[in-house]
Amino acid sequence: MSNALLTTSVGSFPKPAYLQQARNQHAAGRLSREELAELERRATREVIALQEELGIDILVHGEMERGDMVAFFAEQLDSMKIGGLVRSYGNRYYHKPVITGKLRWPGAMTVEMWRFAQGLTDKPVKGVLTGPYTMVDWSFDEYYDSRREAVLDMARVVRREAEELVKAGARFVQVDEPAASTRPEEMELVSEALGIVTQGLGAKTITHICYGDFARVFHQIANLPVDQLDLEMANSDYDLLHLIRQHKDGFHKELAMGVVDVHSHAAETVEEVKAGIKKGLEVLPPERLYIDPDCGLKTRTWQEAEAKLRVMVQAVREVKQELGLNGHP
Amino acid sequence: MLTTVVGNYPKIPNRPRPARLRNAINRFDRGEISAEELRAVEDDVTREVIDEQVEAGLDLITDGQIRWEDEQTYVARRLGGVSINGLIRFFDANTYFREPVVEGPLVWSGPITVTDFRFAAGYSPRPVKAVLPGPYTLARLSRDEHYHSLEKCVMAYAEALNQEALALQEAGAAFIQLNEPAIVKHKTDLPLFQRAIERTLEGVTAERALYLYFGDVDGLYPQVLDLPIDVLGLDFVTGARNLEVLKTAPFTKTLGLGLVDARNTKMESVEQIVEGLQRVQEIVSLDRVHLSPSCGLEFLPREVAQAKLVRMVEGARRAQEVLV
Repeated sequence: MSNALLTTSVGSFPKPAYLQQARNQHAAGRLSREELAELERRATREVIALQEELGIDILVHGEMERGDMVAFFAEQLDSMKIGGLVRSYGNRYYHKPVITGKLRWPGAMTVEMWRFAQGLTDKPVKGVLTGPYTMVDWSFDEYYDSRREAVLDMARVVRREAEELVKAGARFVQVDEPAASTRPEEMELVSEALGIVTQGLGAKTITHICYGDFARVFHQIANLPVDQLDLEMANSDYDLLHLIRQHKDGFHKELAMGVVDVHSHAAETVEEVKAGIKKGLEVLPPERLYIDPDCGLKTRTWQEAEAKLRVMVQAVREVKQELGLNGHP
Repeated sequence: MLTTVVGNYPKIPNRPRPARLRNAINRFDRGEISAEELRAVEDDVTREVIDEQVEAGLDLITDGQIRWEDEQTYVARRLGGVSINGLIRFFDANTYFREPVVEGPLVWSGPITVTDFRFAAGYSPRPVKAVLPGPYTLARLSRDEHYHSLEKCVMAYAEALNQEALALQEAGAAFIQLNEPAIVKHKTDLPLFQRAIERTLEGVTAERALYLYFGDVDGLYPQVLDLPIDVLGLDFVTGARNLEVLKTAPFTKTLGLGLVDARNTKMESVEQIVEGLQRVQEIVSLDRVHLSPSCGLEFLPREVAQAKLVRMVEGARRAQEVLV
């Protein structure tokens, strides 16, 4: 493949209705863990097949085995438990995890599913982990005396998991930190923890950050210890590109740029997405610009997700055609 | 010393207790129950959370804001000129609110929280505080498509909230509180903030409280003492530095002491609460303290929130024995 405007996804895909139903049945004790796992693999096959069919370059496994991105890991860590219900917004509640002891890596948590997904395709599949800062920030902590101690111990856990993914053959490891941009005063901690995960890992490292006051902390975001930043752009009308353009030290990383809004039902038009990609190309060369949706697709329906990705891939094809970026056959 | 809360209270309990309000809202959204039936469940749950606060031993309670979808929207959506948009993250909390959009002139067209206040006050054996979002926070968390000026938008909200505060006072509210977390994040707006609070509280003779949480007041203090308020509520958890900040000038109000962490389930010990009160004695005597959690309790599971209130009251009682 030519290395211009590679297409990818952030992480999650919508869960098919049969899987959603099976998860409910499992939660109610009416379906075994193994029966559920079989349906998770079936859905993962569908996620991989869809991305192959659309012609996406760097795939994700779709997170069919994960519910909440923090709870999935918290459930597997011995020193975390799933706590009581707290409200997220409106009438939505979730069980917020609690740190109850010293954080230790409990054995591989994501490798089996990654290996299964990678076995279905010749294209690279990203390993996707929840970052240490987000894991701690979105949990209660009844053990550590400071946030810093908790975040750094969590970073060692995530690092070990990342090493296992690389050992299994992952060439791309993405560490999601959606909580990162909410506290400017803690950006240094975010960076230090991410460094523990990524330093000398031996794979391309990516972090996805969303929902925050980026302008205040962009200098620190731009200097996070990863090879690639994955940022939402479509839902903010590509305003973040100005921050990259103005970034005083120059911006040396790769950028994965979100070009479809994951919170709207309607698919964007090919023309809209092409315009967005061209804005990105004004700031970064095509080899350093990756194209993806703004965020995980799990809140969309399967049809909406497919439609948005199809538009995205088509727009990339047309831009590459127009600009002669297809490389030599 | 009084014990109190800052505002909201968790709406649903955990198993085995039923999540009545959540179920009722789901059924209402599916058209299976009427607005009156939903209101009846909200009434029941409001009585429940009043009972829990009273059983914990609080002196001054709230209605728990059980009917509120978040700290802004419930009030904002009932003002003329406002429509409600998509979800926005609420400060650094992993919770979301629906963004109020100011599309036209802000107009108060009638009481918003007065019926709720009357309901709670009529049921509660203890005094009930009326709590409103402050004008500055409302404006900061709104999208202004009409005034195109933060100042005008803040002052328009202040005007509207003043009428709401006067309506609450008319209905018998003896304590009226404004919650203003946003100013802690934008301290350079203090002059505008001062004018807005003054406007909001004009003509209010009830006991007036202003609660600032999610940070410390370094940069706002001591100027905030000039505001026409009786109680200044501060967050001593996220704003741990507040203790030092308050030492920089004589404290002239009643202190709303947000000592118990309302954002973490780790339980404070009675000794920790007594120690906290002891440290605060250097700044203000305990008879001018309203002890509370650091912010609203909705970030906690219901059972933890209640346990923390019980512990807080134990701490207050112990402190009164050993410190005074």
